Amino acid sequence: MADKIKLFVNEVEVEVEAGKNLIDAIGAVGIEIPHLCYHPALGADGNCRMCLVGIKDGRPPLVPACKTRAMEGMKVLLDAEHIKKIQHDVMEFELINHPIDCPVCDQAGECKLQDYYMSYDQQGSRMTVPQVTKGKKLDFGSGVIHDQERCVVCGRCVRFCRQITKTGELGAINRSDDTRINIFPGRPLNNRYALNVVDLCPVGAMTSSDFRFKQRVWFLKKAPDICHGCAKGCNITIDHNRQKYEDDIIYRFRPLFNEQVNGYFMCDEGRLSYKQENNGRLTEARTSNNPRSINEILAASTKEIERAEKIVIALSPNCSLEQMVTVKALSDKLGATLTGYSEGYIKQGDGDDYLIQDDKSANRAGLHLLKIDNSLNTFENAMQEADLLLNFNNELTLSFEKRELSRLLNDTKVIAVTSHDTPLTAMADMAIPVASYSEYAGSVVNSDNILQSFGKAITKNIDLDDISIIAAKLGSPLQTPAERFAALQQIISALNEFEPDKIPAEGLNLNNSEAANVTA
Amino acid sequence: MSLLDYLMIAIRVAFSAFIPLCFVAVCVWMERRGAGFFQDRSGPNRANICGFRAAGIVQNLSDGLKLAFKEDMISDHIKHKFFFVLAPIIVFFTAVVSFAVVPYADTLVLGGKSYLMQGIPVDLGILWFLALAGFGVYGIILAGWSSSNKYGILGGLRSAAQVISYEIPMGLAIVSLLVVYGTVNLNEIAQFQGKLLFGFIPLWGAILQPLGMIIFIVAAFAECNRTPFDLAEGESEIVAGFHVEYSAMKFAVFFMGEYVAMFASSAIIITLFFGGYQVPFLSTDALISYAKPVAFLLMLSLPVIMYFFAGWIRRSNISHYPRENDPRVVEANVYIKCFWGLILLLELILLIILFCKSGGSATTIFVALLQVCTFLLKVTMMIFVYIWVRWTIPRFRYDQLQKLGWQVLLPLALLNIFITSAVVVALS
Amino acid sequence: MGAKVKIIERKGSSLIERLYLIEIAKGMATTFGHLFRNLKDNRNLYVRHYPEVQPEIPARWRGRHRLTTHEDGTAKCVACFMCQTNCPAKCIMIEAGERVDGKAEKMPVKFHIDLLECIYCGYCVEACPLDAIRMDTGIFSVTDNNRESFLLGLEELLATPGACSEEEYKKGGA
Repeated sequence: MADKIKLFVNEVEVEVEAGKNLIDAIGAVGIEIPHLCYHPALGADGNCRMCLVGIKDGRPPLVPACKTRAMEGMKVLLDAEHIKKIQHDVMEFELINHPIDCPVCDQAGECKLQDYYMSYDQQGSRMTVPQVTKGKKLDFGSGVIHDQERCVVCGRCVRFCRQITKTGELGAINRSDDTRINIFPGRPLNNRYALNVVDLCPVGAMTSSDFRFKQRVWFLKKAPDICHGCAKGCNITIDHNRQKYEDDIIYRFRPLFNEQVNGYFMCDEGRLSYKQENNGRLTEARTSNNPRSINEILAASTKEIERAEKIVIALSPNCSLEQMVTVKALSDKLGATLTGYSEGYIKQGDGDDYLIQDDKSANRAGLHLLKIDNSLNTFENAMQEADLLLNFNNELTLSFEKRELSRLLNDTKVIAVTSHDTPLTAMADMAIPVASYSEYAGSVVNSDNILQSFGKAITKNIDLDDISIIAAKLGSPLQTPAERFAALQQIISALNEFEPDKIPAEGLNLNNSEAANVTA
Repeated sequence: MSLLDYLMIAIRVAFSAFIPLCFVAVCVWMERRGAGFFQDRSGPNRANICGFRAAGIVQNLSDGLKLAFKEDMISDHIKHKFFFVLAPIIVFFTAVVSFAVVPYADTLVLGGKSYLMQGIPVDLGILWFLALAGFGVYGIILAGWSSSNKYGILGGLRSAAQVISYEIPMGLAIVSLLVVYGTVNLNEIAQFQGKLLFGFIPLWGAILQPLGMIIFIVAAFAECNRTPFDLAEGESEIVAGFHVEYSAMKFAVFFMGEYVAMFASSAIIITLFFGGYQVPFLSTDALISYAKPVAFLLMLSLPVIMYFFAGWIRRSNISHYPRENDPRVVEANVYIKCFWGLILLLELILLIILFCKSGGSATTIFVALLQVCTFLLKVTMMIFVYIWVRWTIPRFRYDQLQKLGWQVLLPLALLNIFITSAVVVALS
Repeated sequence: MGAKVKIIERKGSSLIERLYLIEIAKGMATTFGHLFRNLKDNRNLYVRHYPEVQPEIPARWRGRHRLTTHEDGTAKCVACFMCQTNCPAKCIMIEAGERVDGKAEKMPVKFHIDLLECIYCGYCVEACPLDAIRMDTGIFSVTDNNRESFLLGLEELLATPGACSEEEYKKGGA
């Protein structure tokens, strides 16, 4: 816990954290200082002048809050006449050349310029000269589309490319009212985090070509979740909406701040992985590729399981801890061989030292934690004599060549419990659809051994059961969420302090508390 | 029994059974067009066959066809399907049969034999009517109960309570009448009313028993479930009451039953209070002896009436907006020609009467027909009163209804009996 | 306090009124008067002979919707979703796309109005920043025998002309 200091805002005493600038310190207690160019991840730049405040200690009348550290006993003025006037004047300045095309701008609804206009300006333009025209709809590459007219030249995007990705594709060119953000000729944005500039941009200058015109932001419902794109487990906000007569559809992922996991950002690949949640889903149960009702297939599967002599249960490294523990209980009850073999999920050399990981599965650490075997040998040996493979969403076609897989699955019945319609589903004798991660609640452990839990974000028209419920229906002893959590608590003692659903949002670092527990 | 006997039985039964049914169409037509005109609108007047609207009667035909061909459904939640189907049949049957004892002409003497001109020649008279009209409510209660519907059961309960409350004043009003007439036989009652009081006032029940008439009419309205006493339906609070769950022909049977009941009770009111089939000022005997002058007078007056009627048709049956070659004018001309043809036919019949032997069978049949026409005319007027009241007086509240029945009508009816008895005793 | 209290005498408490019959007779005389007047001459009926005689539609009448166009026939609508956002009946369904005619950046690819759900409140017209949607077609009777045809599409909305002139529409206070 950081030290607390006391200062005065508008002559009211507030207690804030020490060591922060005024915007962050006062913002943390709910008092907003308007700002455009400052971003906590990018540091203070001081070019927008929107955060000018007064401090009564003999300083000049206006100081930028982003560059001023909060100090004990500081007397900050936010509602003085001259402060209001400067905010008003800065807004008027920003809007001189702004095209005000809010009806066609994707940012409308989450635009700082709109918000501040309503809060600090609210007057018409006094300009009589024609507006400066600049480039519109410039393709910056990596799915970023730039509109120079809307730009307020805060430079957040430029600083992001220089400081965070260290690629420096963007720069501000020209001077005064002709200043504009641009790329170097023939060198578009080319980094794997480029779409973060769309989030960073406080106005509608940077828009995503993927999300462009898809939906107005005020229709979107927001739900926190964990990205399952790689082992990092970046926190995300799922923006989804159910349009009239249609299904609940995810429109975009945005990074959600989590200091110990991903900070403020996420990679483009993960950001666009929302499409996999919408498309290519398995929605109907099948037997030999003929649609049947789920209950019918479940009954048939139960019979198959009873009949089989040697069962292999394969588990996806994307499953949540709850699902893993339920399936493990099922496997123990049936005396089956449980395997988490999933070499195909790992892309060697794809990761970087920032957010992207080699391992494209969300919960491989969970497999280790639950001591689920994931070696190739075990899997192949078990498959030799098995007569039934019960596959929980583990996409084996990633790990094996198709011919090799066919050889392995020869003489073996395959029941695929799967969220997506994949090549393996086509090979399976029976397929049972289940929810994907945006449709269930659970917890995963990321590559840094941080346990994070997430809630159910969206509800589809066909609300499918998740793997743990299907496993319970197939006979797992862990029937209720409470039983599953209790089973997890026995394995992971750090969970003992928490009620289910009360796991802290920033995640539970198992490295500190759990080291003794994960002994082999 | 001779052939004539069988023929007369057939005619009388047919008359009693089919005239009420025919009058259903007339009632519905009068009700709907009348409602329109009472409320300054036109009512249903668009349905037509080849452009002929018959002043809106074609609408009845189309409604009837619709109801007949609609899906006749019974909801699954209805457990007592037998009673559910039985209920409208009871309502309709009792309504039709209750008319069977009402005489529509004086006793017809043909070939030395006299024929009672009513569907079922019994002496029960008014008692028969009371019994069957009271029985009709079982159909409504049964409908409400077997519908397994809250609205239905409420409608049925209301109807049951209402009928119990109003049968008592009705019966008491009749008691005072019986004291006056000294008989329960409706034909004798009608004959009684053929006399004249002081030589110039028809000796109708309405004049002898004004209070009894008011009580009886009010009770008869309640008995028929007509406004202002149609609480059993109460569409504003219990949707449609007892027939919520009914559709298609089963609903239509309820609907027809209501109108037949209205016809039957009008007939009873006419018979008890307005001289029945008696032509005012002319008793049956007088008619038989003055048959030829009466026929001659009719021959003279019919074309005059028709002349004005034709003028009215011509004025009314036109389009009220600019229209080339208005087809409604053509329509009106056809109607007028038809009516003139009808008048011509009547004139011919009257001419035959004029040339026949006076006092013979032709004269008696003519008098009987004249009385039937009078009877139907009076009934139509009474039905018009029913409709008129419906579009004038709003529905009573339930407590008001009961209060009126028990606290006003019942004491008044008792008082009426007392006064009547006293007068009758004093005069005799 | 200080409200002026006016006591209104309750009607129907005198003996004659409580007898009902006289009052009922008065009421019946009134209704019979109407019947008689209308029977005598049915031109007295307060009736418009509707399908033949059409009502006059004023410029302010909120009829069926249309989308207005520029002179060259392209839609003024830029798919800003203001109408859809404001619609209390949620009957407008828009799908936006990249504009191809160069008038703006954005245009509707699909623009559906479900007339079965529309309550004709006119909020969409008020919300529109570009005067692109209007309810001045004068179409007040929308009938058909299937549900699908009540879902108006972009072409149909653009094709319907306004019923009144521009001056009349402006004067109408829209």
